[in-house]
Amino acid sequence: MDLTRILLPLAFGLYLIAFVLYLLHFKGRQASVAKGAFGSIVAAFALQSFVLGQRWLSAGYLPVTNLFSTLFFFSWALAAVYLYFELRYRIRAIGLFVIFLNLLLLGAALPRDPVLKPLIASLDTPLFTLHIAFSFFGYAFFAMAFSLGVLYLLQRIIATPALPDLHTLRRLNEEAIFLGFILFTLCMIFGSIWAYVAWGYYISWNIKSVWSLVVWLFYGGMCHAKFIRRWQGGGYAALSIAGFAIVLFTYLGIGLLLASNHPLD
Amino acid sequence: MLQRIWKLLCSLKLTIILASAATALTIVGSVVMIRYPKTFGMLDEMTLGAWFSRFGHSNYALTGWFWVVCLLFILLGINTLCCFLDWLPKVRYRWRKSGEYLIHLSFILLLIAFIWGSASGDRSEGHRLPVGATLDLAEIAPGYQLKLVSFDPTFSAEGRPNDLPSTLVLFKNGNRVKEGTIRLNHPLTYADLVILPGSLAQQVDGFRFSGAVELRPGSIVRQADGSALRVISFLPDVMLRNGRVFPGATELNNPAFELELIAPGQEPWRGWYLLRQPLPAPLAAAGFALQPIEPLVTWVSILTINRDPGADLALLAAWCMAIGVLFALISFYDKRQRGDAPDII
Repeated sequence: MDLTRILLPLAFGLYLIAFVLYLLHFKGRQASVAKGAFGSIVAAFALQSFVLGQRWLSAGYLPVTNLFSTLFFFSWALAAVYLYFELRYRIRAIGLFVIFLNLLLLGAALPRDPVLKPLIASLDTPLFTLHIAFSFFGYAFFAMAFSLGVLYLLQRIIATPALPDLHTLRRLNEEAIFLGFILFTLCMIFGSIWAYVAWGYYISWNIKSVWSLVVWLFYGGMCHAKFIRRWQGGGYAALSIAGFAIVLFTYLGIGLLLASNHPLD
Repeated sequence: MLQRIWKLLCSLKLTIILASAATALTIVGSVVMIRYPKTFGMLDEMTLGAWFSRFGHSNYALTGWFWVVCLLFILLGINTLCCFLDWLPKVRYRWRKSGEYLIHLSFILLLIAFIWGSASGDRSEGHRLPVGATLDLAEIAPGYQLKLVSFDPTFSAEGRPNDLPSTLVLFKNGNRVKEGTIRLNHPLTYADLVILPGSLAQQVDGFRFSGAVELRPGSIVRQADGSALRVISFLPDVMLRNGRVFPGATELNNPAFELELIAPGQEPWRGWYLLRQPLPAPLAAAGFALQPIEPLVTWVSILTINRDPGADLALLAAWCMAIGVLFALISFYDKRQRGDAPDII
């Protein structure tokens, strides 16, 4: 019996419950509701982790090679990143937006075929595992920064006590960008080494690689922009949103719409 | 004046302007790359230096943005170098920034490595090498030769190649300098050379005849009377001009063996046996009855051979960047715990 087909919809249901509970918490701000939402996310994340582990074991490689598995892995990484911020900073209501993003990712994965196919020979290297794992964790932090950026702008307009203050949101956003940049840098390093041993050159001008360079440059620039007064606050939040648009195009746009060496099917 | 120029070169705002401009222009340029694959699709097949000399000047409307992006990266490299040099004397009291500046240093090293490799490296693919053959690398790396000792491709149940292991020996000026088996993701590297498996092909290198006789270059068939037939060479396609044999295409079309017959008490005979024609009279007279059945095929390893003098420096930059990233991560949380506020300009 394919556990993926059973457990993944269950995880989706739990994320949906968490989303509804966070929505209620956003209105009523009851601690017990927030705890319930957090519990649902932990349970959903545990289910996803189990499915990922089981798929990894049965495939013999980290299964992040097609649209289903990348959406699933991205969703899992985003949940992990959210749990990191929640456990470290008790961000609660911020979860509303992140979990909504997660529902979109997992919801897009569910109707797709989860069947595990044999790994293409050239992908059979630990460098591939490291490259994609760091890549999606980087993306997950950029998704978190996107959520924090949106909430920063929202808080500036509606000034609600249901959300953390602007200073906290800014600091969390900066941390998400920094960690995303660090992980994406590691993804680029392992990707380059892999490219060298596979093709004999470490910088490729394939469209996916060009856009990965754009992502790296953009967030590298953001890591510098936080030191400039004019770019702090609203500007930084807007950049976080724009950056995630670049990330989405690099991940989905190129993989689905254009011919590249990173196809998604 | 000099101080103002130095300040500008070390400026954080300049970094952001250059990075933003490079980002924006690359985004726009990527659309051009997609629309003109004949020009930009060649970028991975040659070094950047070779690409610029072949395509860079042909149509500036098409390639102009790429020149500007490269220039922006060089300027960003200079800006990063100046920032690094500006920080270096202050390292004693700004050591917490070591991680960030290691990343800066690695960016500079990577840029130098890439420019070096682009200017004096080389890329070539499609080198067909049958087992036992030696390839002279004079065009890519003068003085080097490469010999294929064995090639044992493995296939999946669907018939797709799983791996292309080739055992190679690299010679420099006739001396063996390195040997090893290359596979997918496991190249042979020596100095600035990197040799990778590219693909595979089949090549006809002989023929099977009636009576289970297989002839390939080097084969010897002996008769009971002591006469021997030795295969000197085999060509899958030959052309006849004025009675002389000339090599034709590499595909099987008009195969021919160059043979030598040595019979006791007779002068050795040497000549060509074209398989589409009857057996040469001296061979028939010696009692040989060769009836061609089918060609004998062997795998040919198709290799990619690149030369990148900047590769080792790039690897050093990668290590430097990985260590920098780790340091930056530690110092980020350390600074947050200490309540250090960044200098805002």
